[in-house]
Amino acid sequence: MSLSREIYNELAAIVGSAHISDKPHILAGNRAKTPDYPMEYKSAEAIVRPGSVEELQAIVKLCNKYGIIFAPMVSGVMPTAFASRPNTIIIQLSRMNRIVEINEEDRYVVIEPGVRHVQLYPELRKRGFSYTAASVGPGGSVLANFTSTSGDHHTQHGNSRANRYLLGVEMILPDGEIIRTGSLQTGSGWFCPDGPGPGLRGIVKGYNGNHAQFGIITRIAIAIDPCKGPAEPEMSGISPHHTVRMNTPCSKVIIYKFKDIDHLRDAMIKTGEAEIGSTVIKYFYLPATLMMTDSANDFWKMWTDEHKAELTMPLIVHLATRSEEEMKYEETILHDIAAELGGVRIKREYEEWWENHMDFFMIVSRLQSVLRLGGGWAPIKLASDSVAHICEVGKNINNFIHDFTDTGKIFDAPEDYQIIPMEYGHFAHIELLIMWDRTDPNVMKGVGEFRAASRQTDIDNHFHAEMPVFLSPGSMQIGPLYSNFHIWLKQLKEAFDPNNVANPMM
Amino acid sequence: MYYPKSKAELQEIIRAAREKGTPLVPVSSGTPHIHGISANEKAETLDMSKMNKIMKISRDNRYARVEVGVTFGELIPEMKKNGLRLNAPFLPRANKSVITSALEREAVLVPKYQYDYTDPLLTMEVVFGTGDDFRTGSASGPGPYEELKADMVSPWGPGTVDYQRFIMGAQGTMGIVTWGTLKAELMPTKSKLFFVEAEELSVLTKFTNELLRYRTLDDCIILNSVNLAKAFSDTAEEEQDILKRAAPWTFICRICGFDRYPEKRIEIYESYFADICQKHGIEFKSAPFGNLELAAKIDSMLWDCDRRETYWKVKKGDVREILFLTPPSKVPYLTETLKNAVSAHPAEDVGITLQPQVQGRAFRIECDLFCKSSADVEELAFNAETGLLKNGAYFDRPYSNICQEVYSIDPVGTESLRKIKNIFDPDGIFNPGKLCF
Repeated sequence: MSLSREIYNELAAIVGSAHISDKPHILAGNRAKTPDYPMEYKSAEAIVRPGSVEELQAIVKLCNKYGIIFAPMVSGVMPTAFASRPNTIIIQLSRMNRIVEINEEDRYVVIEPGVRHVQLYPELRKRGFSYTAASVGPGGSVLANFTSTSGDHHTQHGNSRANRYLLGVEMILPDGEIIRTGSLQTGSGWFCPDGPGPGLRGIVKGYNGNHAQFGIITRIAIAIDPCKGPAEPEMSGISPHHTVRMNTPCSKVIIYKFKDIDHLRDAMIKTGEAEIGSTVIKYFYLPATLMMTDSANDFWKMWTDEHKAELTMPLIVHLATRSEEEMKYEETILHDIAAELGGVRIKREYEEWWENHMDFFMIVSRLQSVLRLGGGWAPIKLASDSVAHICEVGKNINNFIHDFTDTGKIFDAPEDYQIIPMEYGHFAHIELLIMWDRTDPNVMKGVGEFRAASRQTDIDNHFHAEMPVFLSPGSMQIGPLYSNFHIWLKQLKEAFDPNNVANPMM
Repeated sequence: MYYPKSKAELQEIIRAAREKGTPLVPVSSGTPHIHGISANEKAETLDMSKMNKIMKISRDNRYARVEVGVTFGELIPEMKKNGLRLNAPFLPRANKSVITSALEREAVLVPKYQYDYTDPLLTMEVVFGTGDDFRTGSASGPGPYEELKADMVSPWGPGTVDYQRFIMGAQGTMGIVTWGTLKAELMPTKSKLFFVEAEELSVLTKFTNELLRYRTLDDCIILNSVNLAKAFSDTAEEEQDILKRAAPWTFICRICGFDRYPEKRIEIYESYFADICQKHGIEFKSAPFGNLELAAKIDSMLWDCDRRETYWKVKKGDVREILFLTPPSKVPYLTETLKNAVSAHPAEDVGITLQPQVQGRAFRIECDLFCKSSADVEELAFNAETGLLKNGAYFDRPYSNICQEVYSIDPVGTESLRKIKNIFDPDGIFNPGKLCF
């Protein structure tokens, strides 16, 4: 089914003919880009590029009038930003890319959806501010990062995940009406996400974002904080052989390895109790090796000679302090904790690698630079609870992963999960990253089996190791295990999207 | 009056009330109920005080799970025994429900531990108006509560909706909470209290804003002389003495050290504190107006609740609170607006407390109009609230008459809240007449 010319012309009248297309080659270039996801790749009927909230609102109202499904997109990182069913248009928001306000006194910025990290981060850094950015790379939409992804990031030990920093939100509901959450609702500014009374913010984002199932977010305020380290990091070289350093004695990376997850867990907890460290992380050892090497040969050498055996339980700690005295204080405590728990300091050259790549701790472009190059990959689990529980979940991976790693269905890296504490160890986030050979036509079956085994093990053990996500057939299946959330979610969707046009997955 | 002792009893009461169309109003704390109990005369009271078990306190994972009837008076000593402290409001009454306080998003004393307005409440169990129970965040599953291995401390979800935010601030209109998990902090092994006195509030708010950017402080609060005197006096003479000698505004803060090298931590953080004070031309002291005895009393009371026979806010008989939030930049202007708006009330009965919240990104401003009966000052308070609202004050927890003004500003937002209410309480049995419902 394609859009009628009348509807196409109505859309064109809203955005201008330069900002709409239904040309086959344009639509073909805007299909889901991640072939690892088992979905049918559909073309949208058209792509429209609104330039303002008013244009966007008019598009949404038109979609309701004609029963057209819409999927908003900025950078297209997630498959949900593409058409997944017929009769869908993509609303590309990249023209709405203004940094609306930078408020240094009240510590927030207001941005539109099209603002990218590469645009916002330098603006803030030069003013001495920073914000929590997940591993999407510089081209990612900041707004989508805060509203649609899980919002976990590598530096959340000393602060928290993005949910905590999402303040006022302006959103076009599926029926075309505009709501403003928290203090915006009464015209009191952008600073507070909640209230008055109960918070509409609840429909904006839960553990994950709803990917426009409750409407399109047009502007958000996010909280900012003084950046740690100098406003301008020292950069040299040409990407990917570049370095980004913090040239200050108040920034240091220290890495200890522990004999097992129990000792690593205790080190995380004690570091949090002492309220030291900007970043504390048990990082994926497989992507870490990819990041550190330039060629397949280098990778295999480093992986087999050292990392696979030696870096299963690394605790990467970035200390960022306000004075050298405080640095000494934090270092002393960290060394004490490691000594108590049998931690062994790894080679200084590895620590230096991290110190030379501080972009990992900022925009995290490093991770994205390696993941999409070769094999298939997917993050699995993605949940949070206490450090202790999340480490128990990690420990349990060994009980089922070997059936898959030993048979070559997925890459043999059984400890390739990251655990990142947040709020000084009050909670932690887990993510198991699996990789596979996507040139092998038979492998997807094995990957699917692994995902199922992972989920079933957690259900059987009553581990909170995977948070259900959208309103989808999958959520309807597991909903009864999660307080019947699917029933309430469905009612909310029906109440706010009576025509089921806002990126429905059911 | 209903006194459920378990979730099952509560569900039975709710289902019966739904069948009969009987409105229910939940109450969990003891008296006085400063914001009133019900706006609906036909409502029956659901007294949750019998659900008062402390379910779990975890030192290692730093949380406490308690039923809704557990009070500050009961929980604080138990937390101390486990080496923990709550990030609690300023001197709450001992019979106040800890969970209700958190559900109401009451201001807390340590902004650096508060990452979100929902802190310190992490997860909860709630029974909706349909009689169905529901758990939020990592308490949601997989499986029944009794079998969950998680510590149930992750607040978000389940899934793509933050259900907790529908229930918090709802004043019992969305569902009845049975238990909640609260974030706890380690009890410091050493701490040091500091005082800054000022004639002008703007001096204090500016430097507080800078201090809190760097997480230097633990406790942090600003009191005018009236509230300093009311809160920390035991006799009328003592109150008058403090009132006479205290500066118009007193900033109280604390720097803490924990298990490892606590003295060193305090020394380093004190030097940061001193630097910022110097930058702002501010002198800090170890006691207000040189009164070491008062400083010691404040030191001991700040981490506790008010266990005195008469709660400090109702010494005069009653109190009418005016509560709002504002970002740091607007604090001086709105506080001045507030003072002007209530100037008809005797100055010695106008208490003002300012608490920086959420890492200092906002201030909770609370004005206490001390009086014999709140009805006597209702008109004055309402007019003040209306004026403040027009000037940009954010009434995130609207009570009484100001609700109508607050919810009339954005009809689409208000209608959206009603849609949500209609899902979780389809027959409107919970606290009808409150907020915009």
